[in-house]
Amino acid sequence: MLKLKEVGQCFYPNTIEEAAKLLKESGEDTRIVGGGLHLTAFPNPAIKTLIFLNNLKLNYIKEIDGKISIGATTTISELANSAEMNGYLKGNVKKLLQSIASELLRNQITMGGSVAQREPYSDIVTMLLTLRADIVIHDGEKEIKTPISDFYKSNFRATLKKSVIKEVLLEKFDSTYKFGMKRFTRNATDIPLLNFGILAQVNEDTIKNVSIVVGARPGPAERFAQAEEFLKNKTLSKELAEEFGKFVEENVDVAGDIRVGKEYRAHIAGIFAKRILNEFMEE
Amino acid sequence: MKVHYKINGEEKEFDIQPGELLLDVLRRNNYTEIKGNCYLGTCGACAVLINEVAKATCTTLAAQVNNAEIITIKGIGTISEPHLLQKAFVEKGAVQCGFCTPGTIISAYALLKNNPDPTEEDIKRSIDGNLCRCTGYVQQIEAIKFAIKLLKGGK
Ligand SMILES: Cc1cc2nc3c(=O)[nH]c(=O)nc-3n(C[C@@H](O)[C@H](O)[C@H](O)COP(=O)(O)OP(=O)(O)OC[C@H]3O[C@@H](n4cnc5c(N)ncnc54)[C@H](O)[C@@H]3O)c2cc1C
Ligand code: FES
Ligand code: FES
Repeated sequence: MLKLKEVGQCFYPNTIEEAAKLLKESGEDTRIVGGGLHLTAFPNPAIKTLIFLNNLKLNYIKEIDGKISIGATTTISELANSAEMNGYLKGNVKKLLQSIASELLRNQITMGGSVAQREPYSDIVTMLLTLRADIVIHDGEKEIKTPISDFYKSNFRATLKKSVIKEVLLEKFDSTYKFGMKRFTRNATDIPLLNFGILAQVNEDTIKNVSIVVGARPGPAERFAQAEEFLKNKTLSKELAEEFGKFVEENVDVAGDIRVGKEYRAHIAGIFAKRILNEFMEE
Repeated sequence: MKVHYKINGEEKEFDIQPGELLLDVLRRNNYTEIKGNCYLGTCGACAVLINEVAKATCTTLAAQVNNAEIITIKGIGTISEPHLLQKAFVEKGAVQCGFCTPGTIISAYALLKNNPDPTEEDIKRSIDGNLCRCTGYVQQIEAIKFAIKLLKGGK
């Protein structure tokens, strides 16, 4: 089944500068290939040129200047199995990564491909927004670092017609920070029908510096500012978890689609919110 | 364009179109032990090892993995000399229609290469992308556990 019928050429640039230059020069019908999952599963017949990043050595996870730097072609499996994720936020990011999609898909989906594609249901996008990651792109001349929420507020699709994602940077949160994220699917290979992440600093049971993100709403993942405000300076307790679950169910900005109704999505969001706070207490 | 792979230990060169899928290139060149089904990366029937990692060939571009080392189910063991995983699948009744079997064994093989002592959770996770419509997975998990025992016994 020849899905990408019109592809007549492909390139294997040796540097990211060269990759960005090729992308700019080859025009609208050119695509960078990350894991290639989206490009092959949902092929766009207009694509004529492919740029492979194989020679760019963007397959890494390393610590630089107190940040965890993850190269764009790193797959979900590579990140999940990395030493850096073992103790990171008490192993909760690793646990999440291991639960995304299926092993074969985890072995293919890349960080760069997930950020660039920004599927509304992407667990990686919800996770990176919750963790307040930075995205580093290269425009052929220089690197540009942008907080992920600003990146998505900008016209990032236009930017990525001329730039290549180089890496994702994660803060090394100290032990007062807690992270939890849950995803709801009907089976292992189904796309999530809702995902919900919380990152919070908990100092002597007081909640600070919260980020809460909801994805697969079914619209794209977004910060849930009202819920962040609700939790700010509150004391972590069973009662708070209960109240917060109700608040989320009543206020979360979700809609219905062919897969699941609005009320059901809101109900799941409320359950996830409550469970994550309860898990924070058990840590 | 031409691509070069090492498949089951043999050097191979194929003519391909730059937008072709690895599954189509390999089946066209008689590696029909790799099955094709969903073409979406979701069933696992088309899995092979690419540079030691289990991947779906239906969502892998043949040009992207130029110069890769590829192992199919026949590279793990043959009918006359089966690998212990293959023996265990037969012995534990983990093969019914057999359509999913090459992909499932590839995923289990990749797991055991990296982790010879996996937990039940590790085993389930390693084959969670290999759909089986016949066995209900119970026999497959039993077979993988049995293979681990056989491998530890050095048989
Ligand atoms: C059946 C199926 C189930 C899935 N399930 C899940 C799931 O449960 N959870 C989840 O989080 N994701 C899931 N995904 C992955 C989904 O989020 C996207 O398909 C993701 O983009 C795949 O990543 P990739 O690296 O293969 O992207 P690719 O297909 O390689 O690329 C996607 C887009 O990003 C661009 N791109 C890639 N790399 C770069 C780069 N470095 N710089 C600039 N642009 C780049 C490409 O040009 C293309 O436009 C699923 C996908 C499929 C097909
Ligand atoms: S045919 Fe490749 S995963 Fe289904
Ligand atoms: S044995 Fe028939 S699909 Fe698995």
